[in-house]
Amino acid sequence: MILHPGVLALVLSSLLVSGMVLFASWQGLRVLRAWDLASGSARQLDLERRTYLVSTLLAAALGIELVSLFLYVFTADAVAPLLTGAMCAAGTLRATAFGTPVLLLKLVNFLLAGVWLVVNHADGLGHDYPLVRKKYALLLPLAPLVVLEAGGQLAHFAEIRPDVITSCCGSLFASGGDGLGADLAALPPGPSSVAFFVAVSAVFAVGAVFHATGRGGVPFALAAGLALPVALAGIVSFVSPYLYEMPTHHCPFCLLQREYGYVGYPLYATLLGGAVAGMGVGAIAPARRIESLAVAVPVLQRRLASASMLLYAIFTMIVTWRLDASALRS
Amino acid sequence: MIELRDVSKVFHQGRSDELVAVSGLELSLEAGALTVFRGPSGSGKTTLLALVGCMARPSSGRIFVQGREVTSLPERFLTAVRRRTFGFVFQQFHLVRGVNALENVMLPAYPLGERRGDLVRRALGLLESLEIRHRASARADWLSGGEAQRVAIARALVNDPEVIVADEPTAHLDTRVSREVLGILAGLRDRGKTVLVASHDPLVHESPLVDRVVGMRDGRIEGEGT
Repeated sequence: MILHPGVLALVLSSLLVSGMVLFASWQGLRVLRAWDLASGSARQLDLERRTYLVSTLLAAALGIELVSLFLYVFTADAVAPLLTGAMCAAGTLRATAFGTPVLLLKLVNFLLAGVWLVVNHADGLGHDYPLVRKKYALLLPLAPLVVLEAGGQLAHFAEIRPDVITSCCGSLFASGGDGLGADLAALPPGPSSVAFFVAVSAVFAVGAVFHATGRGGVPFALAAGLALPVALAGIVSFVSPYLYEMPTHHCPFCLLQREYGYVGYPLYATLLGGAVAGMGVGAIAPARRIESLAVAVPVLQRRLASASMLLYAIFTMIVTWRLDASALRS
Repeated sequence: MIELRDVSKVFHQGRSDELVAVSGLELSLEAGALTVFRGPSGSGKTTLLALVGCMARPSSGRIFVQGREVTSLPERFLTAVRRRTFGFVFQQFHLVRGVNALENVMLPAYPLGERRGDLVRRALGLLESLEIRHRASARADWLSGGEAQRVAIARALVNDPEVIVADEPTAHLDTRVSREVLGILAGLRDRGKTVLVASHDPLVHESPLVDRVVGMRDGRIEGEGT
């Protein structure tokens, strides 16, 4: 194992988060089985106290989970110079069979954790734990994924060998190669750029309708959620070559490096933040019918929708700015 | 006004030093009455007041305040109920030392963000009504026991709560001052407040000013009188 501070932080934090999520899931099973707000039994009162504590701790743990996605790619990028053949995070992720699956798992967990945090926040706005069962039910599929991610991440960092040659991003994201990266790189730039701007425009259009009418939370969530994979594909297929000013370079990781002003971090942060906030609007939409949340949830939905649209707007502005400033245009 | 259903409070539950402070309490407390909980030390009076005043949660059972169930409320909702519904008067006064009487009275209102000028006027009015305005600028540690308890009562009233909870309010006062404090509490009752007092002082629970006396022993209700 490479004893890089990022590696140690990731391994330790993943163990912490896994432990917290498992504990919270066990607590969640108790809630799902025995929760009865009408009862004044010692067991029910104990559950009420515990769920408040567990929710608070879990919110912190899942906050770490969100940050860990960025720390993972940052660390992968930071240790790349130590690996033979690696030029950026892509090479580090490719160094073992676990690297890329863990990244995809982290991406899924980022979205699930983000939505869980939104649901948990909405639950805290009601005086009668209105979403307590739903948020623990949502936690149950998240728990094994977080544990799987922690195990995969540990295996990845444990198996990395600096003396074993790994692939560089130029071959992983070459349009003539094999694999998902190559397939994305091979997407035709014209249609993928149209899909990119249509997807982002749909977020603003559906968001505007939602703001005007207060209706359409679920369609907005779908638009914000669908824009994420379309935008990620767009970054690989047509944004990256403009950004690197190299028609054949499609790597989505090099843009996290100093040479490109670390532009990848605000790019991915706004994209992922916009997607999570937008998906959160839909996740809490059914709660509008709950009496104790009837006032608070529409307000929260509007804030989330505004945040999602703002983040997508910043993301689009960064992309447009880099496309416009690229020497490849001339 | 306030209803307790099968309320128990156990400290250190499951340990060797487990203590059942109150057990299986069923009680209804009327609005606008001065109710005294009478009983020896360790009978559960203070625990009962803490539970009713939302300062502690029961181990089992439910408490309803103005028809609203409060035992299950998450902490931030409970804080709002505690702040707006209850005013507390403690045996040891619990005034903040080094701060003057006026500031002590205003302290519970600070989180509500009221304009300071309005708050000062209201606090001075309360001190006036309790005949202690002349000591408004005196530091809390310079006040006599009787003065400190009047300031504490003014502090309990600053958010205009509907319920005043007083735990042994005469414990450190001489007979004359104790009668004055009891008179003040009865006056609050006459102005529509619900007053709950825990006391083992006969001067309090034998007073004709009291509407209802609830006897307690070993965490249970022992008997009632009026």
